[in-house]
Formats: sequence, C-alpha cells, structure tokens
Amino acid sequence: MRPLTEDESKTLFTKLANYVGKNLVHLIDRPDEPYCFRLHKDRVFYVSESSMRLATSVARPNLVSMGICFGKFSKSGKFKLHITALDYLAQYAKFKVWIKPNGEMPFLYGNHVVKAHLGRITEDTPEHQGVVVYSMNDTPLGFGVTARSTTETRKLDPTAIIVFHQADVGEYLRDEDTLF
Amino acid sequence: MDVSSILASHAEKYKSITVEKANPLEVDAAYLTVTDPNPIDVDSYDNDLEEHLQSLARDGTQALISSLFQLPINRSDDGPLAQLPAPIAPLPRAKHLPKPKPPTKWEQFAAAKGIQHKKRDKKEWDEERQEWVNRWGRDGKNRQLEEQWITEVPLHADIDHDPRKIARDERKARVAKNQKQQQGNIARAQSSSSAQPQPREERKKDIDRTLSSARVSTASMGRFDKKLEGEKKMRGVKRKFDSNEQGGDSERKNSLALLSKMDSDSRKMRTRPSSGGDETVNVRKAVKFVSKGKGAVAMGKEAASKKKFKSGKRK
Repeated sequence: MRPLTEDESKTLFTKLANYVGKNLVHLIDRPDEPYCFRLHKDRVFYVSESSMRLATSVARPNLVSMGICFGKFSKSGKFKLHITALDYLAQYAKFKVWIKPNGEMPFLYGNHVVKAHLGRITEDTPEHQGVVVYSMNDTPLGFGVTARSTTETRKLDPTAIIVFHQADVGEYLRDEDTLF
Repeated sequence: MDVSSILASHAEKYKSITVEKANPLEVDAAYLTVTDPNPIDVDSYDNDLEEHLQSLARDGTQALISSLFQLPINRSDDGPLAQLPAPIAPLPRAKHLPKPKPPTKWEQFAAAKGIQHKKRDKKEWDEERQEWVNRWGRDGKNRQLEEQWITEVPLHADIDHDPRKIARDERKARVAKNQKQQQGNIARAQSSSSAQPQPREERKKDIDRTLSSARVSTASMGRFDKKLEGEKKMRGVKRKFDSNEQGGDSERKNSLALLSKMDSDSRKMRTRPSSGGDETVNVRKAVKFVSKGKGAVAMGKEAASKKKFKSGKRK
C-alpha cells in the first residue's frame, strides 16, 4: 500500500473528472473526515485516513481490500474504473442517462445502451462524455461513455448506440472472482 | 547637649551600608556579581514595580561595593586597586573541548591487536663512540652508514657498487613511504570527519556515470552487448514513493494543487475551432469515412493525382 505518484494521480483524476467534473474536489476535500487514495496491488482504494492507518498494520500479502476500490491500473499505466466506484460517481455525476425498464436487463448483461432504451438524458451532454446510467426510478445501474451528443441523438434510428457500456452492477455477479 | 536625635535624623537620611535580608545575598566578587536568593515580596512588587526593582538593585549594588571595600587593596599610580578573589560560580567553557585527533591507520591496527605504545628515545647509545647520539637529525645514527669514511663492499660486487648511495636511497625511500602514509592518514581523517566530497570520489562517480550511459548507448540499448568478465550488473534508479502516513492535510493540499494545475493546463490546451454552430455534421468523422480512415491529407493528395492523370490523358 502506498500513496499515488503524481503521474498516477493525474491519470486517476482525469478519468474521474470525465464523470464528475469539478465535483472531484468534494472527493478530496471532505468535511467529515480526511479521505485519501491508496494504491495496493495495482488497485486504487478510496479510504478514510483512520482506516488507512489501521490497514498499515496488515501485511501486504494479507491485505485484500480497504475502503472502496475505485479501479485498477493496467500494466500499460491506464486506469480502469470499477463498478465499485459507482456509489461516488452516482453521487457527484454531472451528466446522467436514464434508461427505460425494458432496457435495464440488456444493460445489466453488459450491452451498450441503444436509442430505443433511452428514457431521458441530461441536456447538452457532449460526445464521448462519461455518464452515469440510472433506471427510471433513479437507481444507479452503471456508467458509460456517450457515443453522440444530446442534439445528435434526436436524429438517430432506434437501434443506434447512444452510450458505450463501461461498467454495470451485473459485474458484481459476472466478475465476482476478478473484481475484488 | 543631646545629639542623638540629630544623629538619628541624619542616619535616616542615608540608608545603611549594611544590607540585611532574610537570606544573605550571595556575592561573587571575582565576577562582580550579586545574586539575591530571597523570594519576591509580592506586596511591594504589585504596589510599585519600579520602586521595588530600584530598591532591589540598590541593595545588591550596596552589598557588592561593601564587599569590594573589604578586599585587600594595593596602592598604584592609577589609585587604589582591589585584589579580586578566585571566582565562586563555575562558568561553562566558552569553546568546545578540543576533539581527539583521529587515529592513524597504525593506531587503529595497534588498538585492534592490543599493541602497547613504546616510547622511543630520540637518543641512542653508540657502542663505538661510547656516547648517546641522535637517532635522526644532526649527526643522526640513521646516516651513519653513508657518512662513515670507509665502507665494506661485498665480495663479488659490481664495479659501480656504491654502498653510500644504496644506504642513502634506502633512507630516502623510508622517508618517502612515511610521508605517503602520513598523507593517507590526513586524507582518511578528512573524509571521515567532513561530508565534503573528495575529488577522488567525485571522479569515481563521474566515471561510473559515463560508463553507465555508454553501456546503454548501443543500438540495442546494451541488451545484446558482449559481457566482459567480472562486469557488474547495472543498477537502476530505485523508485521512491511518498510515505504512507504523511499528514492528511498535506496530502489533500497536494491533490488539490494537482487538480488546479490540471484544470489550468486543460484551459490552456483548449483549442476548439469556432465552427458556425452547425454541429449536425461531425467533420472529423465525415473525413474519416470518406477517406476510408486515411485522413484529410491523403484524400487531398489522391484528388490532386487523379486530376493530373486525367489532364495528361486528354493531351
């Protein structure tokens, strides 16, 4: 377990900022308790400082997890967000997509969101913007990246992809072995 | 006539030269110092601080001066001089204790082996002359062999065998060796005492750096080079990370600073072309589609070459 280097922090923040924008400050500067990002076995954990201090006493091979896993660094140094980060992304998301009940299951099986399933979308969403996907009753289901901007989506046919799938809560079951 | 009242009034005007306190004042005449061990009188201290301090100072000065007048006095041209006694209060040294000399290499060796130092006299007994002569220096015994008027020569010696020169060379070599060892001792003492880098060490580091950069400067970055015998593996730079338990505040500040830096960077980098608000056509994608992924430049070249070909045909 160690703090992130500057390069790693930069990669992480860029990725997170794609979803939460300026709200990223709220993750770092919390009023209740100081939180920090820690790297352990290539995984980035968002953990309160008190828990982190407790975790330091656990030997490296024995430490499985602490706080909330935000994702992991690939071998080539890219950062991949995990579905476990959804709680915080949903809380601070800038751009949101709601999908109809008939589109929930396809999305939860790892498919992209097509226009036919699109319920609502935040106005002025640009292209290639990270968005959080909600069901119509505001339950966060996952997140993805928009394929088109909001204005463009209006002219598309119903089978066109609107949001590229990145992670969904179905991964808790599908990737149970590798996720944590 | 009764003058006692006049005397009393006179005495009242001038304070007594004897100072009386609950605890007697401690006078150290050698340093002209008086220490008052009495507890502070709270009433007078609170009442009038200035007056309290003045009276304290007056008492102390009075005690000091009256003690000075009890000292033995010498008359001199400049007036009477009191002889100050030895000081009572121990004062700390103004300077550090001198550091012990760093041990020479021989001293270290002797200490490790438990060899006792034997003091060697400068004089040595000369059996022939029946007197004490210097071991070295003026008329030193170490030069006896090269200064005697007749010298033995071995049986089958060379023609140019010069026993005087040999003896002298030997002596000079001994002196040179001793000087070299002395220099070594000085250098060792300096390098151990001060953190200042030695020129030799500096040069060593420089060579190492040059060597390491030369080793990775081949076409294969040194991977397929022939290894020399005894060549050491190259050491990389060890990664260094921040400590895990730095103050949470500093870490937060660092993160926020990084965020604001990234923000300002992205603002500087932003070069959005101001298209006329017509965002229905994604130009980048359209070009990519038409040119089959080759890009605008390739498309332009292709168009130009086609035109040329056509015009050539027409001619």
